Amino acid sequence: MRSFLFNIGYFIKESGRIIRLNLLSNIFSIIGTGLILLLLGIVVTGTDIGNRLVVMLNEEAEVNGYFSELLTSEQKDELAVKIGNMDGVRSTRIVDEDEAKTRMEKVLGEEAKILELFDDNPFEAFIEIRINVDSMDFVIDNVKNTNGIEYIRDNRDVLEKIQDITYALKVLGYLMIAAVGITTLIILSHMIRQGIYNNKDQINTLRLLGSPGVFIGFPYILTGILLTLLGGIIAALSMAILINGAYESIGGTIPFLPLPPKEELINKMTLWLPTLSFVLGFLGSLFGLSSIREKS
Amino acid sequence: MIILDKVSLIYTDKTQALIDINVNIKPGEIVYITGPSGSGKTSLLKLIMGMEYPTSGTLSVLGRQVKNNSSGNIRKIRRCIGPVFQEFKLIEGRTTLENVMMGMRFLGVKPRIMKAAANEALEKVGLGHKKLSMVENLSWGESQRVAIARAVARKPSLILADEPTGNLDYDNAINILGLLKSFKDENTTVIITTHATHLIEDEQNATFISVDKGRITIERRYQ
Repeated sequence: MRSFLFNIGYFIKESGRIIRLNLLSNIFSIIGTGLILLLLGIVVTGTDIGNRLVVMLNEEAEVNGYFSELLTSEQKDELAVKIGNMDGVRSTRIVDEDEAKTRMEKVLGEEAKILELFDDNPFEAFIEIRINVDSMDFVIDNVKNTNGIEYIRDNRDVLEKIQDITYALKVLGYLMIAAVGITTLIILSHMIRQGIYNNKDQINTLRLLGSPGVFIGFPYILTGILLTLLGGIIAALSMAILINGAYESIGGTIPFLPLPPKEELINKMTLWLPTLSFVLGFLGSLFGLSSIREKS
Repeated sequence: MIILDKVSLIYTDKTQALIDINVNIKPGEIVYITGPSGSGKTSLLKLIMGMEYPTSGTLSVLGRQVKNNSSGNIRKIRRCIGPVFQEFKLIEGRTTLENVMMGMRFLGVKPRIMKAAANEALEKVGLGHKKLSMVENLSWGESQRVAIARAVARKPSLILADEPTGNLDYDNAINILGLLKSFKDENTTVIITTHATHLIEDEQNATFISVDKGRITIERRYQ
């Protein structure tokens, strides 16, 4: 340990020397690692946004219950209260015909002119039932079987599809993490082995002088960490630029898209990518170093 | 200090390098190992350095057994040895001072003390003025002196020099031998291999181990 502390400066100097020995190859490795990590960052960010979208949509999950024609407005109010007390229902609200029409006009935008062709308001009043997604099936069955409810509309299909997409994104994310991890480990361990090969005479001399393996190997571990960390920093900076650019272009054109705050994403990437690269660098170096373990 | 008891060394290609060697080298001795090329001198040094293991017999260096699967022991032995390799094994791309310090870096010596010891060793071998020269720019003789400085700077219990007079003219060879002998004290043993017997024939305070075809004869000349 004492030897270690006394030689911190030497280790750093040695790492610099190992990098300089194959400068061009190391620069390409840094760029390569950076690009791989950037790819990972994009997938992870995409998964994050997808997850957030699903959570928000889950919170907005609702079922619309349409009344039987013969109900009076008092009966409709009573029915809304009754459904509101059911398990799995968060709230209910009656949307009258006029509000239903206004909502549709907003959705249609300029196309809303088409509604002027109708003499009367073609929309029906309904109960907007906010529900817990987990209880969706149970609530739908109950509301369907309630007297005074003619039929219901739900967005279950949409929610399920989004959930499927998010699941796929999650799996893709994990696969990407595994692929990036393995690729980085292979690239790095190869670089370390190459460095060891280039310095085999020096390593052999140090061994003959009685140097412990840790002392010989530490500059290589430091080199591996430094190279991947630089790749991680490049990836993090690129992600920050990418997220900024994406928010500027997408955020303006699709204002209703529930994107998380961009600072949140940027902060996560600038912390997460360098940390991951540090860990991968450490593991990759250890992997590469296994080749200089003494035979006896 | 070094005890070889019925040690034999047979390489994997069945070459018998050493046969039934019995030697006991005490602290503070100067030992010359002589013999023609291929006689087994370097094999003997390799055994002492832990670069080879005895095929049979027991070998103890500085109180530790040298045998297969004892890498920890061998590392500890090597840290107490100041080796001067035949081909020097200096590390290129570094200065002479850095090369000398390299032999001490993992011994737990404070950097300030390490640097002072390296400077002192370089002064002793007459290369104080070249401490900042890159080793690849040194002459053969200078490189050899750096190798000696690296060996002695770490204050070893045992100095092993493999053919330090090879490729040197008479005067330089005598100087190098004199230099190596000057590091001998009560606790430091100096073992030198050489095939140039004419350089040491007048020695009176030394042990001579003559190796021929893997077998040895020992002569101790002490006044």
